[in-house]
Amino acid sequence: MLAFRSEEHVERWCRRRAVPRGATFTLEQARRLGAAWYADRLSPDWRRPTPEEAERIFAAIGLTGDFWRLRG
Amino acid sequence: MSTTEALDRDLRLLVYRHIVDEGAPPTAAQAAEELGRPTAEAEDALRRLEAGRVLVLAPGTVNVWMANPFSAVPTDFRVTSASGSWWANCVWDAFGIPAVLGEDAVISTHCADCGEALELAVRGDSLEPAEGVAHFAVPARRWWENIGYT
Repeated sequence: MLAFRSEEHVERWCRRRAVPRGATFTLEQARRLGAAWYADRLSPDWRRPTPEEAERIFAAIGLTGDFWRLRG
Repeated sequence: MSTTEALDRDLRLLVYRHIVDEGAPPTAAQAAEELGRPTAEAEDALRRLEAGRVLVLAPGTVNVWMANPFSAVPTDFRVTSASGSWWANCVWDAFGIPAVLGEDAVISTHCADCGEALELAVRGDSLEPAEGVAHFAVPARRWWENIGYT
């Protein structure tokens, strides 16, 4: 997952590299995703989130739709 | 918890502790020594952790490449807090490092398109500047087909 100055820069990067456009979201959403995903990583009891749990984390910060689905 | 599960848990925590405290993961031999186990057991545990998608090893080795959000090799995502500096694997992971540390941090990266430097300051729950976007090239269910490219 890369950072860009704006949507226009994403468009140009994809075009130049012939990479299909994926999903974009704000850096604030990326911050919230990082915080939610990793806050307990140093806990002895940490385990990988299940697909259901991961989808709930995505949805809680507005990352929904087929791109973010892990099941099915 | 089985002996194997306990070893895997202890090794995972040791890897993270090394990275947080020293900036780099231990080798399998170092980890084995600190855990009081044979090196072969630590190597097997590292392979199990990779198979369980807990860590990523450098291809063909038992050297830790990624203990997300941390990268053991330099990347374009440098995260600096009051207690040190670390490499992250991507911008998502870069935001994960202050969460792991429980500290404010500054992320130094570049716009992947134009190369302009981006300095992103995380203070508590706030981000400055908040402009900019993140892009995932690969849908979530395919991330682990090539975790080095998402």
